[in-house]
Amino acid sequence: MAPVLQIEKIESGYGEVQVLWGISLEVEAGKLTTIVGANGAGKTTTLRTAMGSVRPWHGRIFLEGEEVTRLSAHAKAGRGLVLVPEGRQLFPTLSVEENLEMGGYSTRARKRQRANLERVYELFPRLKERRKQRSSTLSGGEQQMLAMGRGLMQEPVVLMIDELSLGLAPVLTQQLFLTLKSLRGQGITIVLVEQNVHLALALSDYTYVLAEGRVTIQGESRQVAQMDEVRRAYLGL
Amino acid sequence: MIDGLLVGSVYGLAAMGLSLIWGVMNVINLTHGAMIALGMFGMYVLFGAITGHPYVLLLPEIGVGLLLGVVVYWVAIHWVIGRPMLMSLLSTFAVNMIIIGIGTAVWTTSPYNVNFNLPGLTVGSYTFTGNHIAAAVAALILALALDLFLRRTRPGKAIRAVSDHREAAELMGISSTTVLSIAFGIGIAMAIASGALVATLFPFTILSGGTYQLKSFVVTVLAGLGKPLGALVAGVLLGLLEGAVTPFMAASWIPLIEFTLFVVVLVAFPRGIFGKVAA
Ligand SMILES: Nc1ncnc2c1ncn2[C@@H]1O[C@H](COP(=O)(O)OP(=O)(O)OP(=O)(O)O)[C@@H](O)[C@H]1O
Ligand SMILES: [Mg+2]
Repeated sequence: MAPVLQIEKIESGYGEVQVLWGISLEVEAGKLTTIVGANGAGKTTTLRTAMGSVRPWHGRIFLEGEEVTRLSAHAKAGRGLVLVPEGRQLFPTLSVEENLEMGGYSTRARKRQRANLERVYELFPRLKERRKQRSSTLSGGEQQMLAMGRGLMQEPVVLMIDELSLGLAPVLTQQLFLTLKSLRGQGITIVLVEQNVHLALALSDYTYVLAEGRVTIQGESRQVAQMDEVRRAYLGL
Repeated sequence: MIDGLLVGSVYGLAAMGLSLIWGVMNVINLTHGAMIALGMFGMYVLFGAITGHPYVLLLPEIGVGLLLGVVVYWVAIHWVIGRPMLMSLLSTFAVNMIIIGIGTAVWTTSPYNVNFNLPGLTVGSYTFTGNHIAAAVAALILALALDLFLRRTRPGKAIRAVSDHREAAELMGISSTTVLSIAFGIGIAMAIASGALVATLFPFTILSGGTYQLKSFVVTVLAGLGKPLGALVAGVLLGLLEGAVTPFMAASWIPLIEFTLFVVVLVAFPRGIFGKVAA
């Protein structure tokens, strides 16, 4: 089957500084793919370049078989490429519910906004309790829930999440992973950048390991978890 | 006093336009005064040509203001967003000079007025000028409409989202440049509408916009950025202040007083007198 998101030899960076040196990823439909790597390896930059927040210098990007390399971030979002960004990036002066409404802004997400709002509130009852509150007054964990909820509101075709577990209680992280698995069951494709390599390898289907802006290891998560260099460098075994 | 209050709501409306643009795109819009002057002459021209009711003529003025604002955004603002503040000061100042230049060529700098009088309203021994009351009501309606638009509607929320976090708004599928151009258009439309209303109150020249631009600055710092309703209230306060001092001193002192206030407020309340709620 053709990959739903395909990144081909992407190079990009900030100003004069090159960060990515020819990254290629193939994300299969209905799979959970993780990207792991040390701090500063370029994981966030990879997602931001895929999204269009950072312009690619070279290389190509395909979404559902169509080339979208030059499209702006909002145009890609309109086609269902969704990024839950690192650092949450909420709208601080908007209320919790207004933040979620913005998730339902695009034409494709708007149609199912009501149902999606129900689903998000079911998933995160705390957000429902605080729905009139400004998002800047939420606790760190609640903000992370809101960032996730806002992403789910977008009717993702591919849902890219940068640091899901950051600031969340372990119980909630587990719960979110289970949610992601059930979403995957509903046909949403998920790309996850995750610091918790144990969890990522255990729950995902496919793993890419990044180092210094390059893919160094890739494969079925089960197999990657067995590799000596991964066990030593990332699992502390 | 009461007249001051009525005129003040028009100041408030003008300041809302300046405050919106400043708050949303961090651009200090120096075309503001020129746009106010355009609004005045727009009212003069339309009133002469169509002999419509001035308050109905506000609607086409607002429409033209929106369009003009979007055009100016693409010509002069789009390129300087996110660059140092000096860039946008220079580019809006240039547009300001162009408009004033063309306006001077067409209308010279001699005074004009819109010859239109509503019957006044007498309460006890005091008569309120009809035009003042109508202008205040119109300004109030527009101000409240803008506030509702920003708080309740989908495009209004998108403007606030872009203002809060532009990159995140893009992630939601919001075209942030389109949103900014519309926000700029709305700001200009507010300036033009307030100019049109002022034209029904006082005589004016193509250079009159400058005074109101200065008042808008005072009101905007009084209210604090990004608080449209605050700007309205602060505008009314400024009008009241003017109304209170004019019986005691010459009108030429007013700018001095206003700018003293401006500096005092900037130093004492950098976030505006309603700044407590700011995040
Ligand atoms: N906005 C930016 N401007 C300039 N350089 C940046 C910017 N963002 C990231 N970088 C640089 O790019 C490199 C890769 O950063 P990136 O954020 O992609 O890493 P990461 O793998 O997500 O790391 P982490 O695990 O710490 O989140 C780093 O060297 C970083 O300093
Ligand atoms: Mg990162």
